[in-house]
Amino acid sequence: MLVGTTGSAFGRTFSGGLPWKAASADPPVPISPGGWRFFTEGEGRLVSAIVDRLIPADDLSVSGNDAGCAVYIDRQLAGDYGSSSRLYTKGPFLKGIPQQGYQGQPNPSELYRRGLAAITRYVAEKYDGKAFGDLSPDQQDSFLTELEADRIELPDGVGGKEFFGFVLNNTMEGFFADPVYGGNKDMVSWKMLGFPGARYDYRDHVSKHNEPYPHPPVSILGAMDWASK
Amino acid sequence: MRHSLALLVTTAMCAVLSPWSASAADQADQISRGQYQAILGDCAACHTKPGGQPLAGGAPLETPFGPLVPPNITPDLETGIGSWTAEEFKTMMRTGIGHGGKRLYPAMPYPAYTKMSDRDVSDLWQYLTTVQPVKNEVEANQLPFPFNIRFSLFGWNLLNFTEGTYQADPSRSDEWNRGAYLVTGAGHCSTCHTPKSIMGADQEGQFLKGSSLQGWYAPDITGGNHTGIGSWTSDDIVTYLKTGVGTKTIASGPMAEAIENSTSRMEDADLAAIATYLKSLPDDSKATSTALPANDPRMIAGQAIYRDNCSACHSADGKGAMPLFPALSGNQIVQQGSPETPAHLVLFGSQGAQTDARPTNPSMPSLAWRLSDKQVADVLTYVRNSWGNAAPAVTESDIKKTMESR
Repeated sequence: MLVGTTGSAFGRTFSGGLPWKAASADPPVPISPGGWRFFTEGEGRLVSAIVDRLIPADDLSVSGNDAGCAVYIDRQLAGDYGSSSRLYTKGPFLKGIPQQGYQGQPNPSELYRRGLAAITRYVAEKYDGKAFGDLSPDQQDSFLTELEADRIELPDGVGGKEFFGFVLNNTMEGFFADPVYGGNKDMVSWKMLGFPGARYDYRDHVSKHNEPYPHPPVSILGAMDWASK
Repeated sequence: MRHSLALLVTTAMCAVLSPWSASAADQADQISRGQYQAILGDCAACHTKPGGQPLAGGAPLETPFGPLVPPNITPDLETGIGSWTAEEFKTMMRTGIGHGGKRLYPAMPYPAYTKMSDRDVSDLWQYLTTVQPVKNEVEANQLPFPFNIRFSLFGWNLLNFTEGTYQADPSRSDEWNRGAYLVTGAGHCSTCHTPKSIMGADQEGQFLKGSSLQGWYAPDITGGNHTGIGSWTSDDIVTYLKTGVGTKTIASGPMAEAIENSTSRMEDADLAAIATYLKSLPDDSKATSTALPANDPRMIAGQAIYRDNCSACHSADGKGAMPLFPALSGNQIVQQGSPETPAHLVLFGSQGAQTDARPTNPSMPSLAWRLSDKQVADVLTYVRNSWGNAAPAVTESDIKKTMESR
């Protein structure tokens, strides 16, 4: 009886046509413009400075911060990603293998809050009270290199190498993800790579070998050439 | 004596019983014929609410004059037509004057039903008396003043209505006459497909040349090649009406409903008759359109929008992939004088007709979240003027109008 009840609670039967509703769509919500949603001003400055070293401006592209990576990370931390609200977050907490990804207890927003505070403290103690953003690019690079190599012990027991991994991953996500999420401004990384964007049909091009794909990239939100002049 | 009396009684009973059995069979025949008339007339289209009890009253019809709600036509005594007589029903179908002399609004297509034969109307009545009665009070007349004054219909009828059953044209075949009877009578095709005068009556000389309704455009179904169905064979028409899927197009909107509830359930011979009649309608459309040049800014933007939003299914050359993805090249529905139907499809999406022959009805997603009104206008301008298509450009205000129609 109980089984029957459970079954009917979860099972749905459709007859006739497939279910369909006019004017329905479930598109991603574009990020809201303006200031930080998760970061404090200090945290925002620190993350902006870090992403500018992870993706420095050069002849290939604008910098990580100019591409919107810090804004991307901020909006992600303020949303479902930051609070792990769509993940199982109860114990037990085991180390896991690298392929299993992050298995720790603190969620990303907690990790960032503690990690950024630890970096701020570490840098201030080592460089006469300076902030990370005030260091020279070489000093910044050397700090980040050491952090990645696990040769820096951050205060408060923060795992520097693990935190660096988070920031690097999230920066790449922001740089390469659809602009609707705040990064990859004007599809800068897609133009750099020649990635055609949110398309799913190439039948007219599969037989054209050794020819560059001719069309500009398109975002979920559209493309520049959709506007008639 | 006793014995012969018993025999006599038995004989007498037989004499009484036999005609009675014969009439029960006749009545059953009549009811099933009447049920078929209800399919031909597609009563359910208006008188059954989506998901509601059969024939117990429909969803409001948005007319240019205001909302009208199709009444409950189940045989419920108080709220349906249970208190009507067969004669009253016939008078209503013939003249638009219902029970108690109440005049019906011509949203009820009595100007078409008047053509139905006595026998078909009487069969339909017999069928309606057997439908499950449902208690459901419907306030049909929700029009604003002065249209809510039913007496105004007296004048309307004088000007716009000719009473009379269909008169066969002896110079034509039986099949043609059957088709004409169905199209102009029970099928009431002109209710949607003939443009309306300012009074809401069929325009003279514009029979089946296409008309707007409820945010859609019921296309021209006369013999022209450009906007009409001149290029369709009789078989194409039959297949479309039976399955909802034509050689280039898939029915959507109100026509998908008409196909699901009515034409897909018609007898093949009747569909063939309809096709024969429609194919005989002349190609007298003088309207020809020249395609916009490809370097028009709207065409350039439209092409980019088409490539990024439409071409994956409808293909870059507009040929689509039937029977799943309609062809747009040479498709009449995108080249009508009014862009309402393609605008509706792009803004709100659409699900094709679901029929026994085509049970997995494909659907098109709504793109209103992604495209601005101007972008919808430009992509439709492109579709209407590419691959041999030609039709007037679509404006932002056309799109706004369709957006507000829903």
